[in-house]
Amino acid sequence: MNNMKALFTLLTAVVLLSQGHVARAQTNITVTGHVIDENRQPFGGVTVLTGRPLRALTSTDDNGNFRVSVPANAVLVFRIVGYNERSQNVGSGRTVLNIQLAPLDNQLEEVVIRGYQKRSKELSTGSSFGLSGDDVQDVPTANIEQLLQGRVPGMNTQITTGAPGFRGSTQIRGLSTVSMTGSGNQSFLQPTSPLYVIDGIPMDADRATEYGFQQQGPGISPLSLIPQEDIASIEILKDAQATSLYGSMAAYGVIIITTKRGNSPIPRVRYTHNSFIRTPPKLRETLGGNLERQLKLQQIYGNAMSVNDIWDISSTPFLSDSLNAYWNNSTNWQDYYYRTQYNQSHNLHIDGGDQLFNYKANLGYFSDQGIIRNTGFTRYNANLRMEYQPEDRRFQIIGAVTGQLGQQSVGDGIGMLQTGVASNGLSSTLLPPPSFYQAGGSHSSVLATDNDNATRLIRANLEGSYEFIQGLRASTSVSYEYESKTEDTFTPAVANNQFAEVYSYNGRTTQLYNRNSLNYSATFNDNHNLFINFFNEFRIAGRQSAVTRNERSPNDQLQGPLGYDGYFSRGGGLLDDYTDERAASFALAASYDFNKRYVVDLSYRLDGSSANGFENLYARNPAIGLRWNFDKEPFLEGLEWLDYGAIRLSWGVNIIPTGTLERIYGRFDITGNYNGQQGIGLDFDQIPNPGLQPKTNTQYNAGLDFSLFNSRVEVIYDTYFKKVENELFEQFLPNTTGFNKIFSNGAGIANYGHELFVMFRPLNLDSDFNLTFSVNGAYNKDVLLSLPDHYSGQFIRWDFDVNQYNQHVILRVGGATLANYLYVNEGVFATDADVPVDPVTGLRYQTNGQAFQAGDPMIQDANNDYYLTTEDYQRTGNSQPLFTGGASIMLNYKNFGFNLNGSFTGKRTILNNALAQRLGLMGNPFGNRVVVPLNDVDMWRQPGDQATYPYVYDYKRYGAIRPVRFDQTLWAEDGTYFKINSIVLSYMFERDLVRQWGLDNLRVYISGENLHTFSRFTGPNPENVTTMGRDVSEGYPVPRTYNVGLNIGF
Amino acid sequence: MRTVKWIIILTLAVTASSCKEFLTVQPVDRLTGNNFYLSKGDVEANVANMYSMFFEKINESWVIGAIGETRSGEVFASPGANSYSARRVVEFLGNNDMLSVISSGTPWDWYNYINVTDWKRYYQVIQTANILISKLEEGIPGLSETDKSRYIAEATFMRCFTYFWMVRLYGDVVYYTDPYHAEELAREPMVSVLNKCLEDLRPHKDALPWQFPDPALKGARASRGSIIALLMHMNMWNAGFDRNRREQYYAEVAALGTELIQQGPYRLYPLTEDGWATVMKGRSDESLFEFYRSINYQDANAALSPFGDHFLRWPYKFPRFNNQISHCYFIDTYMAKLYPAGLADKRADFWFDDMLSNSGQFTAVKFGFNVYASGNEDRNPDNTFMIFRYADAILLHAEALAELSRDTEAIASLNLIRNRAEATPYTGTGGQELRDFIFWERCRELFGEGHRYFDLVRTQRIMNPTFARNPLNSDQYNRRAWTWPLNPSARINNPKVVLNEYWLNFR
Repeated sequence: MNNMKALFTLLTAVVLLSQGHVARAQTNITVTGHVIDENRQPFGGVTVLTGRPLRALTSTDDNGNFRVSVPANAVLVFRIVGYNERSQNVGSGRTVLNIQLAPLDNQLEEVVIRGYQKRSKELSTGSSFGLSGDDVQDVPTANIEQLLQGRVPGMNTQITTGAPGFRGSTQIRGLSTVSMTGSGNQSFLQPTSPLYVIDGIPMDADRATEYGFQQQGPGISPLSLIPQEDIASIEILKDAQATSLYGSMAAYGVIIITTKRGNSPIPRVRYTHNSFIRTPPKLRETLGGNLERQLKLQQIYGNAMSVNDIWDISSTPFLSDSLNAYWNNSTNWQDYYYRTQYNQSHNLHIDGGDQLFNYKANLGYFSDQGIIRNTGFTRYNANLRMEYQPEDRRFQIIGAVTGQLGQQSVGDGIGMLQTGVASNGLSSTLLPPPSFYQAGGSHSSVLATDNDNATRLIRANLEGSYEFIQGLRASTSVSYEYESKTEDTFTPAVANNQFAEVYSYNGRTTQLYNRNSLNYSATFNDNHNLFINFFNEFRIAGRQSAVTRNERSPNDQLQGPLGYDGYFSRGGGLLDDYTDERAASFALAASYDFNKRYVVDLSYRLDGSSANGFENLYARNPAIGLRWNFDKEPFLEGLEWLDYGAIRLSWGVNIIPTGTLERIYGRFDITGNYNGQQGIGLDFDQIPNPGLQPKTNTQYNAGLDFSLFNSRVEVIYDTYFKKVENELFEQFLPNTTGFNKIFSNGAGIANYGHELFVMFRPLNLDSDFNLTFSVNGAYNKDVLLSLPDHYSGQFIRWDFDVNQYNQHVILRVGGATLANYLYVNEGVFATDADVPVDPVTGLRYQTNGQAFQAGDPMIQDANNDYYLTTEDYQRTGNSQPLFTGGASIMLNYKNFGFNLNGSFTGKRTILNNALAQRLGLMGNPFGNRVVVPLNDVDMWRQPGDQATYPYVYDYKRYGAIRPVRFDQTLWAEDGTYFKINSIVLSYMFERDLVRQWGLDNLRVYISGENLHTFSRFTGPNPENVTTMGRDVSEGYPVPRTYNVGLNIGF
Repeated sequence: MRTVKWIIILTLAVTASSCKEFLTVQPVDRLTGNNFYLSKGDVEANVANMYSMFFEKINESWVIGAIGETRSGEVFASPGANSYSARRVVEFLGNNDMLSVISSGTPWDWYNYINVTDWKRYYQVIQTANILISKLEEGIPGLSETDKSRYIAEATFMRCFTYFWMVRLYGDVVYYTDPYHAEELAREPMVSVLNKCLEDLRPHKDALPWQFPDPALKGARASRGSIIALLMHMNMWNAGFDRNRREQYYAEVAALGTELIQQGPYRLYPLTEDGWATVMKGRSDESLFEFYRSINYQDANAALSPFGDHFLRWPYKFPRFNNQISHCYFIDTYMAKLYPAGLADKRADFWFDDMLSNSGQFTAVKFGFNVYASGNEDRNPDNTFMIFRYADAILLHAEALAELSRDTEAIASLNLIRNRAEATPYTGTGGQELRDFIFWERCRELFGEGHRYFDLVRTQRIMNPTFARNPLNSDQYNRRAWTWPLNPSARINNPKVVLNEYWLNFR
């Protein structure tokens, strides 16, 4: 509250101050003119400045016209955010000026942000990549991260889930962890997301997923709360030189998002609307009704071993009693859960003001109701921002308030996983309609569970800066964020064994953030430029959450108040995620350049955190960067075709403390009682490790940037080597230590690779056509460098889960970090004679006491003992992609625009569990599951068939042989794909025309998202897989989107 | 403008001040190691936790009876006892058929004897002791030097006691004394383990008082008497297995015993109802070390765990309707050998009912004192879990002296016990007869206290049918058939551990 009060007081003061401001004009000559933008449209709101120091004279009106009185030899400067500044000499009596402003697309004149300071890109030594806000418009999305897919070389974004309000995975420069959570199909890598910095405030995008996927509370990603319409620019920092100034949290890269600010002398109102349809992907084909019955019967007749097996049919009524209406249905259950959904978004943007004082407000509504029934996400946001800066630019103050509400329903699933939907969708088509005693419970649970999750976030931010003397500027920024998270789930009686259940979660997180900086820039002898930046950051983060759970509420109408019966109260109270964390950091960066030709950057940052343990509070992050702008060398200066060229080199270290008080000192519980004395003793889950080292990321980067032929060709190339050492490794201990596990260091990974971005503008800049073609790609290879000594270079993460996925992961030093540990499938035994026979015993190759025969999978007997056991597992595949990248085409003709974006991922192993599961449906013809047509599957059907897939209809031997067992390389497929992410077609109406309608501008567009994926993968979607490369058929499918949208400016 | 300047000046001032305080956050929701061990109270709480963890291991089944009394084959289930088929586990124990004892799917599943094969909890006691000792050595605020050395001695006692206990159960064990031990180690020969324990514990003997000023700690917490008793036991065990150096071990036991008897404040209570009830309740002058239990502290004893549970019937054990007879009995031939007819011995009369009945009428009244239950309450008598008793130490003293052929002294000690039992003093010759008599005297005096089987093993009498109804042959003895099977979980993450050879079928 205090922050808010202070903010409003200051804003009032600022407004009052601005009232007193009167632009003084001299009366020598009058100059008039017309300013147009790159589309030759009149450009309103451009500030016209003159003098030394610069003073604003006026701004262009809506028609792009201006009129000023200036001395005869004055230089006029035209300035507006997002465009190149242009200056024009008024001399020689020119009184009518026609000015065209070009958008900031020359990379070098862009401004980049380093250590919260704006710097010229020309002087930046680190590796980074910038996108403008326009790149993330026109395709409605809850999560802007999705729109960055395939745009940034070296950033691997995978849209692993279509669940609205959730996010997929993002990695910058490969693998940074070997920690995994979950088991079976639900194994996930610990997320290592980049740090998001939104308008100077760091935000941890992983916080919703901190506890894996079993965490309580709404899993709404904080990224889903940012409206895409409000984004002005995005910058991605990749190497350690660029990120080290952001400290420990930035070890996995930094994504800097800058929101729009006001810039129009008269208030502007812009409205954006999207109407979009999300359609589910093609569902599994199933055989309905009589076809199902016939297939099951044929299967039994064909594979029965005795007459008893045939008799079993008569005790299975839905097979034998085809005339009974009760068993005579044909229901495709999937249709009950998936739907095509129509959604809308509205966004209203109001801004006004000039360089002196400007403001903006962004009000938005976005709704995505999900292609699975009973799921959905809705966002409401209101972002306000005000900025005051007198034209001498000595003093600046900025205030911003952000309010965001995300509301979500996940049905009875957990968002990413919809296990209920998946298993119910597999129900036999013959079963009767949903009722209490059939598909009932779980079916009703999917549709009737009333789940309401909400995240409400309020953030106030105040920033001020002051220039004491020329070049020395101090600034400070304070923000406070409060986030309230609730989840209310009501499970009606019908879905929960006749008794309703109420669950309620209530949590909050807070963050107080303060940054103070002092920077100094100076030029000596006109050649030597120096910039020094010192800043510190303080952060206090808090969290507290609680749950209530009550079973057997009296009826479905009574969802509260709670507290009717203590006996059925199923726990609750405070959860153990209470947090009170403090962080204090100090950073010093110095940059020197000689004639902007040679640049040296040095930076050093100390990160202190209360979580580090008291002996070793600070982590140290040093970095060095060098840059050579070779185009500025005298011997190259004459080259017309070279716009710019630079070589960059950098080295830096990011240190991530992984030691918590608990890991270092152990945890003590109040437990045990002896001789009337309460005992307090160690918690024996993890042994205290006083010698725990922080995780260290060291990165070397070399880069080359150049632009040729007046920006027709632009190239950015980077190569890097990144070493992750002291990775926290959860090591399980022998029971003679008394403890279960230790968090030790030992593990290390190296990533190295290349990144390339190439952009062509083949057409003449003056032509009506404007074509930009860009392509980017990255190659990243990861290698496991070390493991704790204990393991002698190999660690197998056994995964014997209840669902028998048994898809183990092996870490072997020297190889790709995350490989699978599976049986190697070499095809299918065509005939019985193909099965190897043990020359000693004369028995055929066997498993579980059952000899293999024709039609069974030919699984390599790695240890040649003619017996298939766990000793035959072998290391195979790599779940992480080697290549990632994307391409885009942008074509403009007059008012028409066409934009296509694609992305690709190459060379990764995906385990096609979806297909395994589909074939596995045939395992039991007496079961109550659906059957599917397998005509398209290359399956063994009769002796002599050379097939890819084993025979699945032999239900009698199915349990022993498990022909479609998940733990074989039969499912390992290449997950290479190229996806058309989006296509946008737009038309901008002529301004003169829309003026007649009372509008300032009008643009309409149609767009499509996730249009087509080109892949040889035989599963549903090579991207809709877990970070460990398992195709989850319980997952939330990624929908296809068709959208019609419009922008209106008033 | 002024506001901004003021903000800048203020923030710079804040920045300049120390951050150490800002970053030091005491976690309010959990107790981590950095804010524990800060006072005497913390140490006391930690020690209490250590004792209670050990107690958990002897509370997890009918442990004392199973490990120390039944394995030589004298105990049988009483036909007609409640859960008769489950009680028959004592006969499998008596046949040394340990694989059946611990296997699941048997009628005695709920005895959970499989837990006895798992040594993890013992190592948790050892880690706790090791960490506590290292913290004490680092220094704990507000702790006097006396207290410090006392707590170190107490923790060292618990560590050595745990190793001693494990050695008797598993033979060779993994041994370490460093705090936060996380490496995998191989099992170390038990003689060497006990020698290390002896060396570890000896220097701390005098750091503990004979008796605490607070009577509530008497016997319940380690005293000098506890350390002496443990040192004596460890020496006696090694004397049995490290036969070349047995003179040395016996000599140490003799010296320790003499010190205990001459300087110690311990005494034998008269064998009266009052006297014996006091001993069995605990915190008595006769107790050298015990796990004190009391219903007044709401101590949760498992219904199965007291030794007496299997040999008591109503009115010593409640409720009446299903405790008309004892679950088990000792066979009459053994009892007759123990307390021969015609020889005066108050223990035979005072401690037993229907001693020779060979049925559920057999009652070990020795454990039937301190009965506080009535009506249909399902409770055992409120006795302590006696580990080392003064009488036990006196008899060890006698045994060591007899082995050293100091017969006169040996007989003097032996007769201390016989006199208390108002039994005929020993007047026989020295030599083997005396040694055997002392062995039988230990069986008589320490009946049901978990010593007999280990006495049989360490003296090799387990191979002699005179002393054991189901003897081991020498091959079995050498392959350590007397150990418990070691749970295979010990091999997880530790390829160096080898399971007990005799029980290799245990997977």
